[in-house]
Amino acid sequence: MSGAIGAMRADAAKLLSEGAVKLVLGYCVRGNERYPCFISEAAQAEALDFDQSCRQNLAAYLRKPEVRGRAPLAVVSSPAVCRSLLVLSSESQIRENEVRALAIGPKGYGGILGLGALGAWLKADYPDLVPEQALLDRVAELSAKTAQERAKFWMKEFEKCTRCYACRAACPGCYCERCIVEKNMPQWISSAAAGHGNYAWEVIRAFHQAGRCTGCGACEAACPQGLPLMLLNARLSQDAFEEFGSRPGYELEAKPLIGSWSAEDDGSFIR
Amino acid sequence: MTFEPRITAFVCNWCTYAGADLTGTSRLSYAPNIRIVKLPCTGRIDPLFVLKAFEGGADAVLISGCHPGDCHYASGNYHARRRWSLFRKLLAFTGIDENRVFFSWVSAAEGQKFANLVNKVTEQVRAAGPFGERNLARRRL
Repeated sequence: MSGAIGAMRADAAKLLSEGAVKLVLGYCVRGNERYPCFISEAAQAEALDFDQSCRQNLAAYLRKPEVRGRAPLAVVSSPAVCRSLLVLSSESQIRENEVRALAIGPKGYGGILGLGALGAWLKADYPDLVPEQALLDRVAELSAKTAQERAKFWMKEFEKCTRCYACRAACPGCYCERCIVEKNMPQWISSAAAGHGNYAWEVIRAFHQAGRCTGCGACEAACPQGLPLMLLNARLSQDAFEEFGSRPGYELEAKPLIGSWSAEDDGSFIR
Repeated sequence: MTFEPRITAFVCNWCTYAGADLTGTSRLSYAPNIRIVKLPCTGRIDPLFVLKAFEGGADAVLISGCHPGDCHYASGNYHARRRWSLFRKLLAFTGIDENRVFFSWVSAAEGQKFANLVNKVTEQVRAAGPFGERNLARRRL
């Protein structure tokens, strides 16, 4: 891994000194803490680091005008971040010439990759990025319970939510300038941090990621109340894959899952 | 007091609403437990509508529109079908199961089908019992 990090630092320094990018988004590691770090000069590239605990999804910064204003930029990208970049690209949120990835993962450093080359790198080294087995087991365990038990489980979890929206801030997929939860004419989702408002927020947040979630886990990692948000995300990803073969973030241009359709879609639940 | 289910139905203007109208003009009687909300198309039915119905007191939600291929807007019902197929599973995962959310295609010519559908759905919800005022999705005053 240290060789990979050296190569990543060298590439970041090269891009900055050549002026190919104005900013590099990466991580720095201090003890048990992982911070995002923004590098604008080649000499600072030594500060960049990476390990498996870097779970914050840097692609979430790409919607911020102050970051976008400094394009072209490079992003230190784990496989999950690479997928987020491709989702953003397929949704026309970033342009190919604006963003480059310094692709790095458990199998080593992939080099400076344009968005067009990310798909090939992912498919070669990380072709089946599915939720971890332990998470899928928890989803299966909960799914096997009765509806009342599930309702009780989620009631206990959702009641903890303080509606800080850290999950939304951490998610690269949540880039709406005005989120539905902030609209109040009419107000669809109660903004009080209790009861039905929490339920609606959690369900709608998860559903808005249907066929788009790359499973990076940044939302759950950001939640100060420790809600098991990845249970919802993993369940949706699993359903979307099993029913529609959805694997978001592997193609530069992909049709959105919700927003496209096929005459062959399953209709057996419709009377 | 016996439990009378309250069912909110979201139906499309062109098929199911016309079908429901035909049920009435054909003088077919059916369970009076349904409250119809007419929308232009099933594609217009946002998942938030369903949550709002449960929030405000519905025991179940019925969603009905044109048969595949018959959509007035060509593909609204196809879009809806894909969306619902995932959303109903997410609802079930959070505790609102298939006894609470129903889907159907009813065309403008199927007055009898609409009457049968409402009767069947009402029976199923009656058997499942009230939604539960303590459910997290319900607004508590």
